[in-house]
Amino acid sequence: MNLFRSEEHARRWDGFNPAMAHAIKPLAEWAEAFANPFFRERARADYISWTRSDDGAAAFRALRSSLPVPADH
Amino acid sequence: MTDDGAPLELLDRGYAAIMRHIVETATAPHFTDLAAALAIPIEQARQLAHELVAITPGWMAPDTDLFASFPPFNLQPTQYRVTVDGIGGWYAQCGLEATAIRWLFPGQTVRIEAPCLCCGEAMVVEMHDEEITTTEPAEIVGYTSDVIGGSAESRPFR
Repeated sequence: MNLFRSEEHARRWDGFNPAMAHAIKPLAEWAEAFANPFFRERARADYISWTRSDDGAAAFRALRSSLPVPADH
Repeated sequence: MTDDGAPLELLDRGYAAIMRHIVETATAPHFTDLAAALAIPIEQARQLAHELVAITPGWMAPDTDLFASFPPFNLQPTQYRVTVDGIGGWYAQCGLEATAIRWLFPGQTVRIEAPCLCCGEAMVVEMHDEEITTTEPAEIVGYTSDVIGGSAESRPFR
């Protein structure tokens, strides 16, 4: 999970996987995904409990639905 | 007690202690430090460290009890160098988790510097709470070659 100077640079990377080409996204879009409460709440004293709460589960579902999966899935 | 591991209350305290240590020192605690911080036996702390790493998900250095990665941080250097209000020492687990480090430093400026894996040229991202204040070059993209949250074995290689 890496940053590249542009989409062309990502496609030229040795580790580029064509089945995940749709996972190339502008930084701002990834930053929005990683602004999900699952990440924001990490400073909580009860973080693990929170991840297992209704709110935590809802955040995780929202996160999972926003993440790319391989094109052949 | 959870199904097959530490009590939830201890998982909470352990996670918070590890994260606080990394945020404050840019290093991971050893499990003996964790034992002292949590007032639990050393062996229990060692097991707790492994359980928490599996949950987060991070990873230990292979065949050791030493933290290698505890997201959003990496305890071994990566190409994602992090400074907070001009003070360095942290590394991000990956380029995408780098954007989540800001949530652990509210009110502070988090700067990520990294070379592009394709060409080696520099990239810079600065964030302050909700705002991404600098993106150099403006065309920076993120990319994962596999499913985020996939198999544990592939975690360091996506």
